[in-house]
Amino acid sequence: MSKPSLAAKLRLGFYVLGALMVVEVTEYVIGTRVKRGAWPYLAILTLPGALPILYYFMHIKQLWHHEE
Amino acid sequence: MAVIAHTAHKDKLAIHRLGLWLFIISDSFLFLGLLFSRFYLQGVRRPPEINQPLGLAISIVLILSSLAAYRGETAAAYGDIKRFRRNILLTLGLGALFLVGVGLEWSEAFRSFPPSTGYGTIFFTLTGFHAFHVVTGLLALTVALLPGQRARLQEGNSWGVEAVVKYWHFVDVAWVFIFPTLYLVS
Repeated sequence: MSKPSLAAKLRLGFYVLGALMVVEVTEYVIGTRVKRGAWPYLAILTLPGALPILYYFMHIKQLWHHEE
Repeated sequence: MAVIAHTAHKDKLAIHRLGLWLFIISDSFLFLGLLFSRFYLQGVRRPPEINQPLGLAISIVLILSSLAAYRGETAAAYGDIKRFRRNILLTLGLGALFLVGVGLEWSEAFRSFPPSTGYGTIFFTLTGFHAFHVVTGLLALTVALLPGQRARLQEGNSWGVEAVVKYWHFVDVAWVFIFPTLYLVS
């Protein structure tokens, strides 16, 4: 399998950024608008906030799939 | 001979990565303990004075810094030293901006819910512990810019940069949990 180009990898960073921004703003809207019982939604939203960073930025898959 | 050297390098890299992940996992337990203490001591109560827009603003700054760090690390892995330096400098600037935001938040929080109050204890401990990680991350990123590290990059060894940037992303992941816990939960 060929190594992805630098441009493609850099573009991926922007897609992840977009997803994270959507999650953060959604969390903020829920946290400021929902007066009671917001915590379950916020708890669920932390996952789509953390997983893209762990997967795409921290490359967690390197732990079980060795790559350079 | 070259194959043996390459395999040894791969094994060494795998061990380095495992060590770093073990450190990150152990450090995340400290954050988890502090996050749980917020709910244990205060439930889901939140003081109305907390500055939520500022919390969102510094969250966005930290996410942007993560993108810059990712771009820097990727550029280093592809041997683009100029882009690497530019992005790591940007990461440093955004990290410093995040700390300024935390400082502003603290100056407001000292008046509204000082550390002697229940919520203040949790707020200052959690944000202070996180800010300490940001400071150590900034120091480590600065080391990654030193000439010695640059020489390693030119030889094709980007592990030092990868390790520092992984740590920086960890600081970001921790904030992803801290932001809703302190600023939004009600």
